[in-house]
Amino acid sequence: MKKRVAIIGGGVAGMQTALRLKRTGGIEPVIIEREEELGGKVRNWHVLFPTFTPAGEVLGALRSEVAAAGIEVLTGEEAEEFTDRSVKLRSERTIECDAVALCSGFTLFDATLKEEYGYGIYDNVYTSADLERMFSEGRVAMADGSAPRRIAFLHCVGSRDEKVCQRHCSKVCCITGVKQAIEMKRLFPTADVFNFYMDIRMFGPGYEELYREAQQRYNIHFVRGRISEASPMMDGRVQIKSEDTLTGRPLRMSVDMLVLLIGMRANDENGRFADKAGLTLAQSGFMQSRDLFLGNTESPRPGIFYAGAVTAPKSIGETLNEGFTAADRIAEYLGVK
Amino acid sequence: MATINFGYSINRPRLIDIDRNNLRKSDEILLEMPELQTCIGCGTCTASCTAGNLTDFNFRKVHTLVRRGEYAGAYEEMNKCMLCGKCRLLCPRGINTRGVVMLIKRKLGDF
Amino acid sequence: MTFFAPFTIPFIVGAGIMFFVLAWKYISWLRGLPKDDLKLILRGIPTTATLRSVWEVIRESLLHVRIFRVNPVLGYMHTSLAFGWFLLIAVGWIEVVAYLGSEFVPLQGHVFFKYFAAGKIANHIAFFDFAMDLLLAIVLSGVLLAWFKRLRSKAMGMRRTTKHTTGDRIALSFLWFVFPLRLAAESITAAIYGGGGFLTGSIGKALHNTLGTAVLENLYEPSWWLYSCALGGFFIALPFSRYMHIFTEIPLIFLRNYKLRPTHKESTYDNFEVQACSRCGICIDPCQLQSELGINNVQSVYFLRDRRYNMLSLSVANDCLMCGRCEAKCPVGINLNTLRLNSRDAMRNIPDERRYGYLRGLDRSEGSGRVGYFAGCMTLLTPKTLNAMERIFESAGEEVWWADRNGGVCCGRPLKLSGETDSAHKMMAYNTELFRKHGITTLVTSCPICLRVFREDYDLDGIEVLHHSEYIARLINEGRLRLSGGKGTFTYHDPCELGRGCGIYDAPREVIEAVGTLMEAEHNRRDSLCCGSSLANTVINDSQQLKIAASLTAELDATGAETIVTSCPLCKRAIARCAADRVRDLSEIVADAITK
Repeated sequence: MKKRVAIIGGGVAGMQTALRLKRTGGIEPVIIEREEELGGKVRNWHVLFPTFTPAGEVLGALRSEVAAAGIEVLTGEEAEEFTDRSVKLRSERTIECDAVALCSGFTLFDATLKEEYGYGIYDNVYTSADLERMFSEGRVAMADGSAPRRIAFLHCVGSRDEKVCQRHCSKVCCITGVKQAIEMKRLFPTADVFNFYMDIRMFGPGYEELYREAQQRYNIHFVRGRISEASPMMDGRVQIKSEDTLTGRPLRMSVDMLVLLIGMRANDENGRFADKAGLTLAQSGFMQSRDLFLGNTESPRPGIFYAGAVTAPKSIGETLNEGFTAADRIAEYLGVK
Repeated sequence: MATINFGYSINRPRLIDIDRNNLRKSDEILLEMPELQTCIGCGTCTASCTAGNLTDFNFRKVHTLVRRGEYAGAYEEMNKCMLCGKCRLLCPRGINTRGVVMLIKRKLGDF
Repeated sequence: MTFFAPFTIPFIVGAGIMFFVLAWKYISWLRGLPKDDLKLILRGIPTTATLRSVWEVIRESLLHVRIFRVNPVLGYMHTSLAFGWFLLIAVGWIEVVAYLGSEFVPLQGHVFFKYFAAGKIANHIAFFDFAMDLLLAIVLSGVLLAWFKRLRSKAMGMRRTTKHTTGDRIALSFLWFVFPLRLAAESITAAIYGGGGFLTGSIGKALHNTLGTAVLENLYEPSWWLYSCALGGFFIALPFSRYMHIFTEIPLIFLRNYKLRPTHKESTYDNFEVQACSRCGICIDPCQLQSELGINNVQSVYFLRDRRYNMLSLSVANDCLMCGRCEAKCPVGINLNTLRLNSRDAMRNIPDERRYGYLRGLDRSEGSGRVGYFAGCMTLLTPKTLNAMERIFESAGEEVWWADRNGGVCCGRPLKLSGETDSAHKMMAYNTELFRKHGITTLVTSCPICLRVFREDYDLDGIEVLHHSEYIARLINEGRLRLSGGKGTFTYHDPCELGRGCGIYDAPREVIEAVGTLMEAEHNRRDSLCCGSSLANTVINDSQQLKIAASLTAELDATGAETIVTSCPLCKRAIARCAADRVRDLSEIVADAITK
């Protein structure tokens, strides 16, 4: 008899895990996705760093493989709680299984919590997620419809910030900021683009190169300083204040668009899941793996596995790799080769 | 506006000679307020600073120089602070900035 | 009848020293008062304030009505000791008069009357035997409670009780023994010479039957010696220990009714308040630094103790939220915050004329109108409040002068709170001039910290100073704001500076009720908790602040209200760290409810 594995979350982590499990031949994965379609957060992304690959390409490939493999997918179904042997859904249904892979990802930081930046209060303050949506819709403009001439990106919004109880680095916003700045420059070649940062962390393949390209080829300005406040101007633009820490002088400028590079915070569901399944949370609120080196995709409880950003902020590439790793661990656990 | 230059001008290149600087006061300050070491120099404090908006006071720079053993003028600079507390409300590292101002004034002042 | 025996010497010496030290202290404090204060006293003496003071002395120094209100068991303990002892003295004096008529009797004759009268009185008056024993029994019950309180403070409704100084321990030990020793001495006397009521008389009989006269004869003198020594020891220790409060509270009540108050500068008047502290420790439990962070050496009782014995450190003086929760509970009504402020002033004030010279001539205000709006530094970091206020002004058709929207000068309270009073006055002078220059008649602020300093320290005659909650409530009452509401549920957090600081509790509640349903938190109004972000504290770190905010938020969440409302930018941001987007400023919920 085939073993059954419940996969909570149908984003890139969930799909990749399911695909690998299915290929073993001895495991029947079932994906539980609360949205109406598979894809998770990546659905809302336009192109991916550092290659500008359309997100749809990656998602499309994964989705068609999932469909071709005949993997059971429950969309519009949300997991309420689970143990290693069953998942209880919001719809009162219960999925019996032999193991669980938690691929529920992260929650985007709510930029309204940084009230001083005026998100949701002033026109023309956007988040990186808003910008991706605008890219996808093919209509990037200020609130009044005109083309922006000066754009500021602010890094580390909701990351590395004690004041919103998010101590961790979200890892991907630096490169996202560089990527989006380039995209804006491509759309509006005459616009001035400024990136305000505390540290620039270019850890991945091709990232540093892209950073350099942004500076050299696209003439994007990088200002080392965190914006302290934004205020509205009479004409609907936004005035921002920062310190240019490299010259040691306060800096003030008005911009047409302020883009907040929002971080990844621990999934809102993590606390509830952990309570019910007896799992532990890291200080950051992300799920704590059994071991950061030898058991990164395993929970401390047998039969419960992790893949993707549920344990920490990760890039899409890293997440896809973890899907494979988690699937292999599950197969080992279930004795399926 | 009083324009006394306490040596924080960009135009006066000056070596910070850690070998020569006496770090005793700096060590004392960090012993009382270890969290000051967590400053990542993002400049949010200076950007929001009520006094820094009106003068050339730069909290980040002054406390960084103090930590390096550069004490000259630091007390006078810190005396520009109004202690309003905006910086403490914004500091992403959660540094007790108002406490730092008072501590530096206490350690480097003459009272 | 003679009224001298060698054993009375410890008592006489002790009482003499005590009265001398007390007189010396009070006279030197009174002489040190500023002239204006002395005038207040002289003017006050022939008024009803004196009569009110007498009545208050009876209520507070003898009956301890306020402690009764805070904690009935503690109240009984204090009343039984203080009032019981007082009655013992008073009834004892009447007893002496009843037996001896108008004959002069020296002090020790009154105190040790049972000794001197032993065997010399033919007919005991049963009433006095009974009354004196009853009073002694009442006092002893108080002593028993005090013992019990030391062992188990929780049982007395106090989670924590004061840690004592050595002087206190000495005085306390003497005090604890005074009454049991008196009981012993009087019982032995009754055993040998007869007399005594239901207590000393019965114990006397029992002693007589068990020990026999010979043993009792040997114990007789020593028991009176011990009693006298305990009294003398207690009296000598009294002026140097917490028991100084017994007498100091009396002149304090008079001075207070003559309108003397501590100010932002230390004065000898402060001694009356500092030494009126009985170190009861009632201020410890309400302190959130204690309950949330386990800090237990900075509370008002320890601050006053340290200040009194000249061992106050900056770290103790500065480690206080000045939320005023302890002040609200202090049974002696000591102005704890003001005393702490003037201590900080004494330790930190830097009179330097050159400082803040840069303020001269600045004006970044905009707009014009009879109503001025001073957002406050912190409100600039809560732009939702600014937006809401703008909407409210617009809807009410108010022309507004914006004092500091583009960055202003601090109100001065933060500097004052940290003891730099002279510098604070520079900010105050600057802002006052700015307000006058623009000819406003009403000043609205969204920051309770600013509000408090405007009301307490600024000289703004002719300008009405309002918190935005009061201003909004007025607009609603005058029909200048049309609101639709009724659906949402709200809980309200009283900011310390607004509630206990300025006494504004009703206006924000009125406003909330105009837009929805108010659900009160467990601690509210005068009893409300602090958010932990208070500018008065420069010692605790960020995670400690967060911990206090988290416990406050948990309590507000427990009300089940959809939205947490507060009316201070600092409180709002503190709560937002735990309650994310569920916390809003009062002005925001009003702006959302405007129908037009």
